[in-house]
Amino acid sequence: MSAAVNRAALLVLAAALLAVPQFLPLLNAGFWTNVVTEILIWSLLATSVNLLFGYVGLLSFGQALYFGFGMYGAALAVTHWNAGFWGGTLAGIVAATLMAVVAGVLAVRLTWHYFAIITVVFSLIFYFAAMSAKPITGGDDGLSFSAPPVFDAFGLKLTLADTVTQYYVVLGLTALCYGLLWLILRSPLGLRFEAVRENDRRARLIGINVYLCRLTAFILAGAVAGLAGALFAFFGRYASASYMFYHVSGEATVWAIVGGVGTLLGPLFGTALLIVFRELVSTVWENYLFAVGALTVLVVMFAPRGLAGLWSDGLAKLSGRSASQPDPQAGAAEAPR
Amino acid sequence: MTAAALETRNLTRRFGGLTAVDDVSMTLASGRLNAIIGPNGAGKTTFFNLVTGELRADAGSVTAHGVALTNLPPHRIVRAGVSRTLQIKSVFGGLTVADNVRAAVMAHEGVMSPFRSILSYGAISRRVADLIAEVGLERYADTKAQTLSYGDVALLELALALANEPKLLLLDEPVCGMGPQETERAVAKIKDVARRTDVVIIEHDMEVVFSIADHILVMAQGAILAEGTPAEISANAKVQETYLGAAEDED
Amino acid sequence: MTDVVFALAINGLVWGLIIALIALGLSIIFGLLDIINVAHGDLFMLGTVGGLVIATATGSFWVAIVLVPIIAFALGLALERFVIRPTIRQAALTIVTTFGLSMMLQEGVRATYGPQPRRMAPPIGGTVPLFGIDYDIYRLFAAIFAALALAAFFVFLNRTKLGTRIRAVRHDPETATALGIPVARVCGITFALGTAMAALGGVIAAPITTVEFRTGVDILPFCFMAVVIGGLGNLQGTVAAAVLLAVMEGLVTSFANPTIARIVSLAIMSGVLLFRPHGLFAGATR
Repeated sequence: MSAAVNRAALLVLAAALLAVPQFLPLLNAGFWTNVVTEILIWSLLATSVNLLFGYVGLLSFGQALYFGFGMYGAALAVTHWNAGFWGGTLAGIVAATLMAVVAGVLAVRLTWHYFAIITVVFSLIFYFAAMSAKPITGGDDGLSFSAPPVFDAFGLKLTLADTVTQYYVVLGLTALCYGLLWLILRSPLGLRFEAVRENDRRARLIGINVYLCRLTAFILAGAVAGLAGALFAFFGRYASASYMFYHVSGEATVWAIVGGVGTLLGPLFGTALLIVFRELVSTVWENYLFAVGALTVLVVMFAPRGLAGLWSDGLAKLSGRSASQPDPQAGAAEAPR
Repeated sequence: MTAAALETRNLTRRFGGLTAVDDVSMTLASGRLNAIIGPNGAGKTTFFNLVTGELRADAGSVTAHGVALTNLPPHRIVRAGVSRTLQIKSVFGGLTVADNVRAAVMAHEGVMSPFRSILSYGAISRRVADLIAEVGLERYADTKAQTLSYGDVALLELALALANEPKLLLLDEPVCGMGPQETERAVAKIKDVARRTDVVIIEHDMEVVFSIADHILVMAQGAILAEGTPAEISANAKVQETYLGAAEDED
Repeated sequence: MTDVVFALAINGLVWGLIIALIALGLSIIFGLLDIINVAHGDLFMLGTVGGLVIATATGSFWVAIVLVPIIAFALGLALERFVIRPTIRQAALTIVTTFGLSMMLQEGVRATYGPQPRRMAPPIGGTVPLFGIDYDIYRLFAAIFAALALAAFFVFLNRTKLGTRIRAVRHDPETATALGIPVARVCGITFALGTAMAALGGVIAAPITTVEFRTGVDILPFCFMAVVIGGLGNLQGTVAAAVLLAVMEGLVTSFANPTIARIVSLAIMSGVLLFRPHGLFAGATR
């Protein structure tokens, strides 16, 4: 029963996302379409946190580093090599993935809090480096560029200047990314990830190379964060070192936790909730982040499985079964110290 | 069979000033059920950890069925056909029983395709079903492991250990913490498995050890104190004095 | 030129001692509760703001230096009881919890105290000749006061009953429980103590830094560097690392971009985490 409900909900979600540009402009021309575009992009960064924490049990506090590499990869490719939209996006993903390979080889040697610390440290190193390498990165002010067309042939020209085109391009790439992750997470590789998250010692004792498994997830997460960064660079037409600071990583982690880690779409809803909240409240209440902080603490305290956990508990209650599923982080929480 | 099930030469491991496993050389023959006993802190579990590569040896070598295992990473040792259960039963709590076993079978088969669904592997699914049936957990195939009873978790762990078709199976206190009925079920299972696989058990329950073991090795303070058949061990004065006597005040 | 280098080195030493005090607070919290307290920098920030507010209200810095740690201790007890303890079961998520707490503290201060940075006049003005340069008396006072506070902390830890209990729980919580030590209360007191130390560092630092809701963000990475490089759980190592790092950053600043100094420190920190997890000062054996 709950599987059917989930499938129906997914269809509704897909239909709603496809219809966004048709309905939201009625409320406020283009503004909300851009908000949803932004939600989709940032949800990918939250997803990269989720891939690590929700699927191999490593809490990263430094995913902004790969987001930043995605941004600069795209921005520099466009400004220096005249890359188009697709070339720029690819450059962003490649830059972030390479960085994730280098950082991951070292970082996944560690677990528990030590992993969180090393990921922050790596991101801080490159944050400071990008801040001081002003000629290349533009530092805090960032690097502006004009976005090349997405498609320009056969007399048809699609540009990001059109809010609706931009929305569908982002939606398409985001959906593609979630689709690929869905395939991966239900594959033998995904099962390995979950085994490592649940119990890394036992995973080793059934013959899984835990290090390699975590490294794979780390690189994958880096690539996803890189895609997010590249898309965000095109969305804002600029890249800035300030997006590599640990607060950005922290926010992404919060979005993932609030949405519910260990589920593919949880982080999307967490991101949506908090960004919509920001858009609605920040204009009337300057200190709305106080509420976000409080919400974060409350979620960890009372609903550590996030929105996704509340959803599945609710479904279980509706279908008459007891919602006695212990939280998915139990395994992660018992990681070796 | 020519090569011994498990052979160590001068195996040593120190923790700071303490030598947990002290120059242990042993040959456990294939084709019989071997048991290692000894008081707490004798170095039995450390010894297992050295064999499975979870700890690195400071000195010495480990061979199983003629294959050198010394200081290989744990997953390579598992793939060489050495499986193990832990004293505190250890499974993948958040996964279903079927997925637990499937993960183990897939790891053994080296399957890690990133795009095919785990359910699309027919042969593996059949093997998973067989293993679950072998330990008698068919009823719980779709139940999350963390909701199983302790005895069932132990059986699931055994299924995980059997998934790689081990040539050598190390069982660390397999009946520890079990009630009489669960113990009986587990002992029957161990005897059954021992017919086709070489088994080494660490166990504190003397009744169990003396009823199932063909060969017993006594460890104390990181070294081998005595070895022989159950009858020889129970007649050994040295063992009586340092271990069997001491065991009574332990609880 | 040598004067400048010398002044920067002394500045580094002064900062190093203050940071040591804050980092020590972070270190005991990490060692005892096994939590990564991302809000620790903001507790320092609360100390600077509280120091300025109380000193302005009462007209005396000395009232602030006494009151702020006491208030912070009470706040720490409350935070541990109502935020940390209910979430400690989600052990892997403490970094997220404290990140949320950090947001609340920063925004709380911004909402009440205001967003603009302020400066605080040092309670002791004037300079003193020191090896050929004129050095602020207040900075010297701050260094000496921080050093005394550090010494007092170690005496407390090693010579008092409560200190012994804290060390016992740090060493082995299970045995401590078995011995009848109220572990939960010791954890609460330790968190409060760490909070008070961060806030005390804040009051001392208030006259030599800007006072605003964001200062904690800059200080936090430095504290973590000291804790990690000194060796997680090695309290003396934390102090030594804080002083060494600050002096090094001060010296590097005299001939290179300060950001380079920060990058070097962070690189050392990653090296220590990866290859010498017990810190730079621990023996090679584990």
